Amino acid sequence: MSVLLSVQNLTKRFGGLVANNDISFDLKRGEILSVIGPNGAGKSTLFKLIGGFIKPTAGKVIFEGEDITGLPPHVIAERGIVRTFQETTIFKEMTALQNVVVAHHLQCHATTWGIFFNSRRAREDEARFRDNAAEILEFLGLSKVLDEPAGSLPHGYLRALGIAMGMAANPTVLLLDEPYAGMNPEETDQAVELTRKLVQRGITVILVEHDMRAVMRISDRIVVICFGSKIAEGRPEEIQSNETVIEAYLGREDAALGV
Amino acid sequence: MTPKYLRLATVAVALLVFFAIIPLAFSASPYVLNVLTNALILSVIASGVWLTFAIGRINIAQGAFAMIGGYATAILSTRYGVSFWLCLPLSGLVAAAVGVVIGWPVLRLRGVYFSMISLSITEAVRLAFLNGGEFTRGASGIINIPRPDAISIFGITLVPEFDGTSPLPYYYLAVLILTLTLLSLWRIANSRLGWTFRSMRMNEELAASIGVNVAKYRVIAFAICCFIGGVGGSFFAAFQQNIYPATYTVNDSIFAMLYCFLGGLDYIAGPMVGAFLLVISFELLHPLQQYQPLIYALLMIGFMLWLPNGILSLPLFERWMADTAPRPEEGGRAEPAGAVSKVSSTGRSGA
Amino acid sequence: MTQMIVNGLVLGTLYALIALGLTLIFSIMRVVNFAHGQMYMLGGFVVYYLNVVFGLNYFLALLGAIVTVGLVGVLFEVFLFRRVMRIAKREENTMLLAMGTALLLESLAYVVFGEKQRGVPPIVDGVLEIGDAFLPLSRLLVMALSAVMIVALLLFVQYTRPGRAMRAVAQDKEVTYLQGVNIKRIGMLGFFLGAALAGAAGGLLVTVFAVNAGIGTAISVKAFLMVMIGGAGVTAGAILGAFALGFAEAIGYEVFPGSITYLLIFIGIIVFLLIRPQGIMGRTA
Repeated sequence: MSVLLSVQNLTKRFGGLVANNDISFDLKRGEILSVIGPNGAGKSTLFKLIGGFIKPTAGKVIFEGEDITGLPPHVIAERGIVRTFQETTIFKEMTALQNVVVAHHLQCHATTWGIFFNSRRAREDEARFRDNAAEILEFLGLSKVLDEPAGSLPHGYLRALGIAMGMAANPTVLLLDEPYAGMNPEETDQAVELTRKLVQRGITVILVEHDMRAVMRISDRIVVICFGSKIAEGRPEEIQSNETVIEAYLGREDAALGV
Repeated sequence: MTPKYLRLATVAVALLVFFAIIPLAFSASPYVLNVLTNALILSVIASGVWLTFAIGRINIAQGAFAMIGGYATAILSTRYGVSFWLCLPLSGLVAAAVGVVIGWPVLRLRGVYFSMISLSITEAVRLAFLNGGEFTRGASGIINIPRPDAISIFGITLVPEFDGTSPLPYYYLAVLILTLTLLSLWRIANSRLGWTFRSMRMNEELAASIGVNVAKYRVIAFAICCFIGGVGGSFFAAFQQNIYPATYTVNDSIFAMLYCFLGGLDYIAGPMVGAFLLVISFELLHPLQQYQPLIYALLMIGFMLWLPNGILSLPLFERWMADTAPRPEEGGRAEPAGAVSKVSSTGRSGA
Repeated sequence: MTQMIVNGLVLGTLYALIALGLTLIFSIMRVVNFAHGQMYMLGGFVVYYLNVVFGLNYFLALLGAIVTVGLVGVLFEVFLFRRVMRIAKREENTMLLAMGTALLLESLAYVVFGEKQRGVPPIVDGVLEIGDAFLPLSRLLVMALSAVMIVALLLFVQYTRPGRAMRAVAQDKEVTYLQGVNIKRIGMLGFFLGAALAGAAGGLLVTVFAVNAGIGTAISVKAFLMVMIGGAGVTAGAILGAFALGFAEAIGYEVFPGSITYLLIFIGIIVFLLIRPQGIMGRTA
């Protein structure tokens, strides 16, 4: 498997606080890589750095051989790295379908003027996006709530909707921010299944997650960060038996690591 | 009738009334036509602000851009003899260009920060014209701005000269400008562009994450707003034939927002409904005119307390609006619910 | 040169009083009090009427202004902001409400006080010479009074129970609420103090600059500029912004004629925001 994304010595300081310290790892095409760590370890910061939402103090992000460090988020999304958000970050006042249609922004062929004058290309775009959005929503089991205002959807649906929007942007790499948080075991099972299906569609996945059981089941490889630094990297079974990792999760290794 | 056809029918009737019935009925009453012309162009100026609301910016700078448009027309026509018909679009472009230059840095600010700086822009532009020396003639302003001249092609007069004997030509021009403005806004709101703007209003970070160049689109929206404001200012300059640094103040910027709110931010016709309602009711209540700001203030407060979504949100208009974008349930502020669930979900993962 | 520094210090101290009131309400309620300048105006008029028209002692008149304007703030909070903040689905609503209150105070002031400029004679006579600069004693007194009020406010916020609760609310409303703090009462207190500070500033400055019913917007704009320079909702930022603006004005009026100073300040601020949109001390969004 070829290296798709390479994080090299990424460091982010906020004033005196070091949120990410010299983090490096590679992501290979077609795998599921999880980033885990205790609360406040700097996982979200790492996502924001990769997605371009904040600029690193030092270090590089290389994607498909090109340096994308410090590019604005919409350019990084254009290159193929799309991020979903924790919790309920969606366009609340739109319907589920509209959310996903809007998320097709990068697939627009029509020019701004063309859109204004409703050119043939703009109409074609619109029709294509609607079909594609409906297809994605069906793939994620959301076809029942197509026309519901997104703001009134239950939590589980919202997270799926977030993933649907990420998929609409046609990503090479999808960054999933805590996709299983707050789910019961059944919901988690379904969501894990879904993540696998994403990979089958050719999307490479990085996810940040608390739910160790799910992470251990689904990940090809795991990166563990603690207090902003990477302390371990490897396959799930290697991580489960890693002394340093157990140390970091001291006192709750059994429950937390699912061993 | 479905809401869509009801709206189409309403637009057709409105066009008929404005282009045919009103001119016929009031052709002998310059006073009424002047009042209506005023309301029409105030609707235009406020419609620009409506678009910045669409991207989630509270814009208290529109008076400044109307003033820039007005001065552009005043200077181009009195000093360089440029025809009004060229001045009108040029003034819009000048205002839009200034809007791009100022907007690029300033639009990075959100919420209250943006509204504070936009209010300051209204003041800054007033000061700039006050201190413009010979170029703007300071406090004495620019007077004797020529009326629009005739348009003829190959000796055929398409538009006669505005000779000032009747306000009717101004009225027609104002109706035309408002029609074009609303038509453009309707296209924007119902196209992908409108959805992109709305997505930015709801969450700029999320919009960026799906690949929207947020900085670019918000400058586009702001530039269109400024263009519309500049065109409105240009019209007023030729209509009143003079302009001073005091012609537009912070209050004018606030009133433009007020019209939007009064009509309803969710509706393209909102600014127009708001502007007509206020302008005409004040003409009817002539004796109360000295209390205009006071009544505006009470209206603003009253609307925020009891009708925060504007007149067009009243059940009376439901038949027209039934199929427009879905709204979350009344009073459903998202933050408290989100905060509670945040607490509970961290509680769960900690357990 | 010395004169510029003296003027900058005086202006900065007085402006700090204005900026603190605005930033206080903002930090607690997340509301920009657009009526801040109008409250300043009201404070000036109350002192004028009590002191000049009714012959009351200046300091009592100042106290009257502080209490009156503070109560106006409480009324606004209880009857208007509380409801609108509860039902509003957009941030615009509270902001427009705030603008409505500004317009209300201003138009009422035109009706009640008329259009005339009103001033209050200096409280004390005499001029202090510092090197080659002159500082009228009345200005020194006004400056000292506002410095005392600023320090008193800072101490109140830092060391008293309600003050600590206010800081907690500013930090995190939900968590503070969960800890059993009465958010409503804190909001009322915040509005009282914020408005009272505006009233105090108006009451003090009316001895230096005359007030008229229409001065509010100009004062509000100044307050916004200071808060934007320093960073909204940050106490130290407000004070910093106030001195920055005070010195900019003091230098500008010395060097440039008339209103060019403000034009330059506006341009400067737009450029500044390009580099640092959250202000000098503001937290990043």
